[in-house]
Amino acid sequence: MTRYLIYTSIIAGAGALAFGLVAAMHVSSAVTVLLAGLVWIVLFARRLFRYSGLLFAVFNVISLACLWAGVSPVLTLAGVIFSLLAWDLTRFFQRLQMTNSTQDAGKAERAHFMRLALVVGLSLLGYFAAARIHVTLTFGSAAVLALLGVWGISALVYRLRSHE
Amino acid sequence: MSRIALLAALIYLIVLAGLATLNGAMVALALPLVLYLLAGLWRGPEELRLTAERTISAERIAPGETVMVEIKVINHGNSLEQVLLHDPLPAFLKTIEGASSRLVSIPASESISWSYTVRGRRGSHYFDEIQVIAEDRLGLIVKRAALPTRGQLLILPPVSRIRHIAIQPRETRVYSGVIPAHQGGTGIEFFGLREYHAGDSPHHINWRVSARQGEVLFSNEYEQERVADVGIVLDGRRRVNDFSGGRSIFEDSVLAAVAVASSLLAEGNRVGLFIYGKRNKWTSPGYGKYQRERIMQDLALAETGETHNFKTLIVPRRLFPPNSQIILISPLGGGEMELLSKLHARGYQLLVISPDPVSFEARGLGENPSVKLAARIARLQREVLLRDLRHRGVQVVNWDVSKPFEQAVRASLSRPAAFLHAIQRGRGVGRK
Repeated sequence: MTRYLIYTSIIAGAGALAFGLVAAMHVSSAVTVLLAGLVWIVLFARRLFRYSGLLFAVFNVISLACLWAGVSPVLTLAGVIFSLLAWDLTRFFQRLQMTNSTQDAGKAERAHFMRLALVVGLSLLGYFAAARIHVTLTFGSAAVLALLGVWGISALVYRLRSHE
Repeated sequence: MSRIALLAALIYLIVLAGLATLNGAMVALALPLVLYLLAGLWRGPEELRLTAERTISAERIAPGETVMVEIKVINHGNSLEQVLLHDPLPAFLKTIEGASSRLVSIPASESISWSYTVRGRRGSHYFDEIQVIAEDRLGLIVKRAALPTRGQLLILPPVSRIRHIAIQPRETRVYSGVIPAHQGGTGIEFFGLREYHAGDSPHHINWRVSARQGEVLFSNEYEQERVADVGIVLDGRRRVNDFSGGRSIFEDSVLAAVAVASSLLAEGNRVGLFIYGKRNKWTSPGYGKYQRERIMQDLALAETGETHNFKTLIVPRRLFPPNSQIILISPLGGGEMELLSKLHARGYQLLVISPDPVSFEARGLGENPSVKLAARIARLQREVLLRDLRHRGVQVVNWDVSKPFEQAVRASLSRPAAFLHAIQRGRGVGRK
């Protein structure tokens, strides 16, 4: 199940970005994105899991570039979310390979998918809420908010890394 | 790069790009990544406080038998959302029922128990720890630990029962046994005649010879039977034991070593073992069941290996005194002649038990004319080698491993080879 979800996520992520690029008249870039997706699929099929982090980062950068190039924000969000799913599931797939109990694997898959669904659901909710709600801020308050955001992310990362 | 560091780098990149371009939609792209990080923080594992207990249904088994391993892991700490409990098994053990690795959740102050059944070939394994990897559902926070446990599984090589191995070392020890000592005394086998001494049993008087000699009485003398020093050398060189397709004749050599050692120890002999394989291992000579156990344990661990040239092997005189018996178990064909000549020159009585590698390899290669021709040539070379050994006074057992070892031994070693008597007489050892 996890294996097929990984393939689906890669295809969906690359497909969404390529579709957006074609719609924005960047056909050659769309082909490049599709090729990147194909490379990811081949690497996964060949069990070269260590490259999934690199390809995840590449797809995020491509999503940013797509947004800058005028691709629909929803499609770029899809690119980020599907690449996140593919990256996460690749690691989870490796973990499943370490157990030889199919019963445990099934239970772990269900719990993992629920957690991912929660993350994706909240992300979509937050994104669409952000798209609907428009707040006008002065430059100073925007800068303070940005600094606050960066500090918050830094604190979160520090907390997580201290647990490692 | 850790997963958290990668996510953090991407979040910073997206947020900074959004701020630089004053594009709110771009900043919003970081939302899934931020939420993913937050989800990792939620219910991640704290300090691991686990203990493990292990029960093994049997500690010593024969190859092919099954053993059930039961494991109980107790969580003395907080709830663990996802824990991988991995019981590492060596390559020679195979799980046939259940799972040696579990991916489970363990609530606080609760335990989890499971069992699995393994089967394996010859070997020994210490179950000394259970590896634990605890993490949150998304695998961002990972904690590792090794839980110490106790347990040992010894899969001993199979034992073939052999009634008697007729060896004739030039010297024996003082204790009575079943090896002919080349000395007159009490025994079963007729040894010779001597003049009657006062105190001799009338049953031992040879009346026929006495009547022929006139006034002097003669008594029958019987050959004393004693125990002997026997050194078993097991050849575990990879180049003579391992063949194409991962097939090895070494298991048959081990089987032969077990059978020979068991038989000789059961007859009261002092037996030592040297394994010339992956690790060169001496088992100093000894008697009885305790020695048999030591030899069995060492043979359970024997493996083939890339070792130095066989001719450099030195048999310590302290362990195996000259004129005692050395039994070499080897497929041969790798420069043993020099070693055997050296041992023979030092006075050892030699017996070579050789599992036949030619038949073994030919069976694995299938039926075709070129294989048949190659096997014929190899067989001829081997025959020449074995004949040469016999000419040097080495007792040789050529064992086709498709037949039971007992059968090969019964045919060759159930009684002393006639030529050995001739050799002993020729050397003037023992009997006068």
